[in-house]
Amino acid sequence: MKIAILSGKGGTGKTTVATNLLSVSDSGVLIDTDVEEPNSHLFLKPQIQKTEAIKKRYPIVDESLCDLCGACGDFCRFNAILPAKKSVLVFKELCHDCGGCQMVCPNDAIRYKERSIGMVYSGHTITGHEMHYGELTVGEISGVPIIERLREITMDDDLVLIDCPPGTACSTVAAIDSADFAILVAEPTPFGVSDMKMVVELLRDLGIAMGVVVNKDGLGDKDIYQYCESEDIQILGRIPFKKEYARKYAGGNLISQVDDEYKSIIEGILKQVMSQKEVV
Amino acid sequence: MLAVCAKQPGLDSTVEERFGRAEYFVLFDEEKNMPQSIENKAKFESGGAGGTAVRLLNENGVDVVLVPELGPKAMDAIKAFEITAYRYTEQKSVREIIEDYKNGKLSKIDTSTTASKHGMYKA
Ligand code: SF4
Ligand code: SF4
Repeated sequence: MKIAILSGKGGTGKTTVATNLLSVSDSGVLIDTDVEEPNSHLFLKPQIQKTEAIKKRYPIVDESLCDLCGACGDFCRFNAILPAKKSVLVFKELCHDCGGCQMVCPNDAIRYKERSIGMVYSGHTITGHEMHYGELTVGEISGVPIIERLREITMDDDLVLIDCPPGTACSTVAAIDSADFAILVAEPTPFGVSDMKMVVELLRDLGIAMGVVVNKDGLGDKDIYQYCESEDIQILGRIPFKKEYARKYAGGNLISQVDDEYKSIIEGILKQVMSQKEVV
Repeated sequence: MLAVCAKQPGLDSTVEERFGRAEYFVLFDEEKNMPQSIENKAKFESGGAGGTAVRLLNENGVDVVLVPELGPKAMDAIKAFEITAYRYTEQKSVREIIEDYKNGKLSKIDTSTTASKHGMYKA
């Protein structure tokens, strides 16, 4: 089962839920696909056993063959190649590596070169679980190839927890592509509800079943419960707002490792999710 | 041919604050003293609007462009198409900015005025 853990915006406790779910699972694997700001490894503290550079290609033009016909620039949907007066400019960060410009070049002037856009790190956490996380190089536009690699690595694993990028950008879509179920982590605040709605719509568009974990329950208002009820979305669990949780978290702990009450809440959520298996 | 980034067509339009995503370019042929406005098709691009806007200007025979700012990619493209860029800093009409240019009040730029934009996918 592939379980995506998402949130409408950053800072709702998505990573906390994901990492604690991993720690109470028997044999789960976690992938952190929030490649612009990965932080689950800060709590899971993996010993890195493998690092892999994720590569992408971009075109280079042989000026001795190019007659500046303009075909490559007309073709590229991403404005990554620009035939100018005396040379062809390539904006490699904009290139999506589609291979099209080479195909349309009448003079066979285009070759590709590889460059690294980020890394994937793999290892075992302090709880003995396997984890993989990606990191996008600063300045790069799209982390999608890294996310796809993370999914590929864990394709055959039975239980995969996917810590997703916040929001509904293309990186989120890439992360949840093969998910069987989605856990939406939200806070009971008015903003929390409106951010959440967009994710709910996205999941419905993609046909992924979902449930909600309310983090910091007791804080704010009841909007979130009304919303979930009216939309017929099940509440998988409530994590109460407690100072001691915040303190344990701030100390860099996996709260379920140091707090039995918290642990049983997380176990309850996992059980609820696993019982969906028959449904999906 | 001279080009100015504009919010609307025509000489009385206010100048734009952006280059690649400018609404229009007002083109001005100094010899014929004739304005002509073109819509900036590049403004709809999700990335790389600057370079594509420069290509559009080149297709229209522009060799001097008056801009509010230029990103690094747009600047590279401006140079590669051998277009000269001058920068304005005031919100005036296109007509007034052209006057400023003719009177030598605008300064030529040959390095980008903004930092590289990344994280466009965040939105
Ligand atoms: S299509 Fe080939 S020949 Fe034409 S401008 Fe591009 S690189 Fe040069
Ligand atoms: S490979 Fe595709 S995206 Fe990259 S420059 Fe060529 S046409 Fe554009």
